[in-house]
Amino acid sequence: MGFEPFVKAQKIKPYFKRFQVKYKRRREGKTDYRARIRLINQDKNKYNTPKYRFVVRFTNKVIIAQIISASIAGDMVLAAAYSHELPRYGLEVGLTNYAAAYCTGLLLARRVLKMLEMDEEYQGNLETPGEDYSVEPAESRRPFRALLDVGLVRTTTGNRVFGALKGALDGGLDIPHSDKRFAGFSKDNKQLDAEVHRKYIFGGHVAAYMSSLMEDEPEKYQSQFSEYIKRGIEPDGIESMYKRVHAAIRADPTAKKSEKAPPKEHKRYNLKKLTYEERKAKLIERLNALNSAAADDEDDDDEDDE
Amino acid sequence: MPAGHGLRSRTRDLFARPFRKKGYIPLTTYLRTYRIGDYVDIKVNGAVHKGMPHKFYHGRTGSVWNVTKRAIGVEINKQVGNRIIRKRIHVRVEHVQPSRCNEEFRQRKLANDKLKAEAKARGEVISTKRQPQGPKPGFMVEGATLETVTPIPYDVVNDLKGGY
Repeated sequence: MGFEPFVKAQKIKPYFKRFQVKYKRRREGKTDYRARIRLINQDKNKYNTPKYRFVVRFTNKVIIAQIISASIAGDMVLAAAYSHELPRYGLEVGLTNYAAAYCTGLLLARRVLKMLEMDEEYQGNLETPGEDYSVEPAESRRPFRALLDVGLVRTTTGNRVFGALKGALDGGLDIPHSDKRFAGFSKDNKQLDAEVHRKYIFGGHVAAYMSSLMEDEPEKYQSQFSEYIKRGIEPDGIESMYKRVHAAIRADPTAKKSEKAPPKEHKRYNLKKLTYEERKAKLIERLNALNSAAADDEDDDDEDDE
Repeated sequence: MPAGHGLRSRTRDLFARPFRKKGYIPLTTYLRTYRIGDYVDIKVNGAVHKGMPHKFYHGRTGSVWNVTKRAIGVEINKQVGNRIIRKRIHVRVEHVQPSRCNEEFRQRKLANDKLKAEAKARGEVISTKRQPQGPKPGFMVEGATLETVTPIPYDVVNDLKGGY
């Protein structure tokens, strides 16, 4: 006979009755509500003026940069830029590194300014990338203001989130920031080393790693940078590649609609809920199956006994 | 030691958060906009300590007279002695909800405007006044059977069963 050893049930019915679930997005671990409240809260005497957030999120393969304003019906996305659009501008590999984040931020900034017809006034930082640059207000309109929304990322110095921030700043958006967390800021003399930051923006750190692997471990170089090798990208050509991408982005930042037609039937990702009749019918089927199985067992037992 | 009469005295249950609703407050409270002249209900949210009104105003409804960065000025009537004073307080938005007290009125206004415009187009004159419910009309009682009840003569022998 198989008795369970006596274990006191840990989670009893009153536990579940008193349990307060956290918000759904907190349970999913996707939203930091403390930060969200502070980012969204608009002064009441500004009534319906939207407060835009510059949202940067990283997945394993893609960088997503969006300008979003909040509303009771749901957040509204004003403009978005994905790093999987960068092949259109000539960048095909390394779509989640610091330099790609810079490109995505730059693309989003130019796109938003073009959408609002402010791109002539606010060209952003055309030379000296790497130095701390803030937009200066022009005569007619004030610059487009957004607040950086990092999400749940740990904001260490040199994080790619700040690469995207730099891209948006150089594109011409007004985002309050400090240079403390850009790549190349040294804690010792409390200063941003513009040269180091510039190196990161143009993928210099990637190029340096490529060169060192080429000399020391050629097999690892083949496996790590196989896509680069396939496209014939050399460590020396990386900086000029990114320069071309930046120029292409500034030339035409408008979003392109995809030509794929939406699928006629919407694919279902979860099971459809059964109606009351369907559920009762299923139950009756199960009971019948159980009863016939039990009846067979009884018949077998009877036969054995006899 | 006597009980005190401090600002938040006797508010242990009044300002407590409801069961299983503790913690962060939903974001719609921050996203709502209020204009001067709107009616608002005051409902204290015990999770936010700043800008709390006095416990007297919990459950009162007033109209907005001022809008500042994070708070709203509300004008509420309070009876003091033999008169009612219009009191003006400032309350943070977390303790305020838009009131539905004049929702029915506003909807009726819209509907009436539409009816009046339609009537004007047809050239009629209509009254959009609400009429009170009048006395119920007369009606015939259906399916009634008549049962005549007559008194039964007193039967001494049966009724005195059990003991005399």
